[in-house]
Amino acid sequence: MSRISVIIDTDPGVDDAAAIMLALASPEIDLRGVTVVAGNVGLPASVGNACRIVALAGRRDVPVLAGAAVPLIGKQLFGKYAHIGDFPPDLMPETDYQPARFSAVRFIVEQARAAAVEGHGITICAMGPLTNIALALRMHPDVADGIESIVIMGGAFAALGHRTPFGEYNVMADPHAAAIVWQSGVPVVLLPLDVTLQALFADGDFSAMEAQGSPSGKALAGLLRRFDRGDLKRFGRPGGPIHDAMTIAWLLQPELFSGSHCAIGVTLYGPTAGQTWADLHNKSEQRPNACVMTHVDEVGYRRLLVERIAGLGAIPLTATPKREFHA
Amino acid sequence: MTSTPIIIDCDPGIDDSIALLAAFVSPELEILAITPVSGNQPLERTVRNALQICELGGRTDIPVYPGSFRPLLRDVIRGQFHGHSGLGNTSLPEPRKEAEDKGAVEFLVDRLGEAARTGKPVTLCCLGPMTNLAMALRIDPNIAAGVARIVMMGGAYREPGNRTMTAEFNMLADPHAAHIVFSSDIPIVALALDATHQVILTPEHVEQFAAVSGRIASTVADLMAFWDRNQVERYGSRGGPLHDPLVIAFLLAPHLFQTKPARVFIEHESELCMGQTVADWYNKSGLEPNAEIVCDVDAKGVIALFLQLFSRYQIERAA
Repeated sequence: MSRISVIIDTDPGVDDAAAIMLALASPEIDLRGVTVVAGNVGLPASVGNACRIVALAGRRDVPVLAGAAVPLIGKQLFGKYAHIGDFPPDLMPETDYQPARFSAVRFIVEQARAAAVEGHGITICAMGPLTNIALALRMHPDVADGIESIVIMGGAFAALGHRTPFGEYNVMADPHAAAIVWQSGVPVVLLPLDVTLQALFADGDFSAMEAQGSPSGKALAGLLRRFDRGDLKRFGRPGGPIHDAMTIAWLLQPELFSGSHCAIGVTLYGPTAGQTWADLHNKSEQRPNACVMTHVDEVGYRRLLVERIAGLGAIPLTATPKREFHA
Repeated sequence: MTSTPIIIDCDPGIDDSIALLAAFVSPELEILAITPVSGNQPLERTVRNALQICELGGRTDIPVYPGSFRPLLRDVIRGQFHGHSGLGNTSLPEPRKEAEDKGAVEFLVDRLGEAARTGKPVTLCCLGPMTNLAMALRIDPNIAAGVARIVMMGGAYREPGNRTMTAEFNMLADPHAAHIVFSSDIPIVALALDATHQVILTPEHVEQFAAVSGRIASTVADLMAFWDRNQVERYGSRGGPLHDPLVIAFLLAPHLFQTKPARVFIEHESELCMGQTVADWYNKSGLEPNAEIVCDVDAKGVIALFLQLFSRYQIERAA
């Protein structure tokens, strides 16, 4: 099996944590690095949270790199759950694992340029504002050549009104970066709120995540319980979405999703700056620049996420814990 | 005498080249690097032109780092008055010197980061679209502390634009980058069209430069002659405005320039006014000034300064 080379660009964030854990739990994915951007929370908190997620999974071989602290042009906007800030240490333990002394943007540039030479492109799963990726694409013309695709959690077409009345957070927090990425010619897969809100996770899922003793599963279940993402009035049933992990799920099991190739765009200024549009019904003459997912198999997505995270770092019941003896 | 460490960020370009040749023979300036950017010409051409001008001026010791290949968001626009190659009708030999492998943005992040850590800030001379510096500032905002100040050519305040009704070329070419730089809190000296249109290089001046410039005289004469806009109704005489070289003149002889402080905003949303530089002369914004805008220039003094500089090429060793 040839593994997929992946960089996760992220602003953790609880659902980012789920995405990183899913990637770390999946042998199909060769996770090259976790590049962090200011978004849901400020850069220091998101970098610290990313280090804790990676360290808790016992994967210090995966570098965490700090990226852009502010959006390209507009004013900084934090996420709906910005108040979480640093993950509470009782749920997600603190760590001495430090970010690499190298910038996230330059890491993406170097990985992509090397991949372009090798002829085996990297995939970027983007689950925060697109600032790092936009900067990387503008550094050198051959960066785009080394990126196989960018799988983005972002946008909202019919499912508006989550963070603001008219925009989805990741795009809205840096619409200029989104415009750069979408116009780059690199294949884009978009997972908008329209699809992420179709899969809701509730108590039964949280319990299953921690049932096998996975430290990561336990931490994630704790975060999801404490910071309830449900909205009974809006969703009509219990449970809350886990947006960002869908980017990883799409790589692992694309058959769970359906959508269409179409043109997408973003409004850069005016009262609705940050609003996204997708030409789902071929009304414009613009050529398709993205594959927009519009439906997910909810049961399949929930099973994939819960089962993989439950097994991450869990010690199989039959195995004896390893002991180390010192002479 | 201690020299001022500078980095010249440019898109040569005829007037950029004149600025470079002037800086090359100014011991008051320690040129750490030249960082060409896509602007007047495509990046490959601005890099090549910078290398050729280094060879012409005998300064192959200065590293040239290739910069951004396009503006942040806007479609590319090119200069209109620099000829096919960007250097008028001159035919300079193929450069022997090569550009560095490292990119200009990476260089700025590393070098300005070092300047910030060691407390020895560098002056940036910005003669083109500001994409390189904007990218570097967004990759690492801490590098702002490594910049002593920016002395830049660009914008048009009380003067109309030169590329559109409201915009000067460098600002229009990448208004988003200019917005990032003007929002950075780095002190800026702005030489806009308001200043550069006060210093017209006339055909008579060109003859004077040809007479004094020693071994580079014929190239200088060709570059300068090509610069003649032949637009007497706009500039008051034959000739062309000495845009970019004024940045070097300001560093060497600030007493020739009168400035006024103001908060500057860059329009990056309106198609009609895209790239316009807006100065808050009378503190309507409630924000502190972020720039010293040059309002008056002693044009005779500037021409005399450049004649003196270019006469050094009579004794400067050949490359």
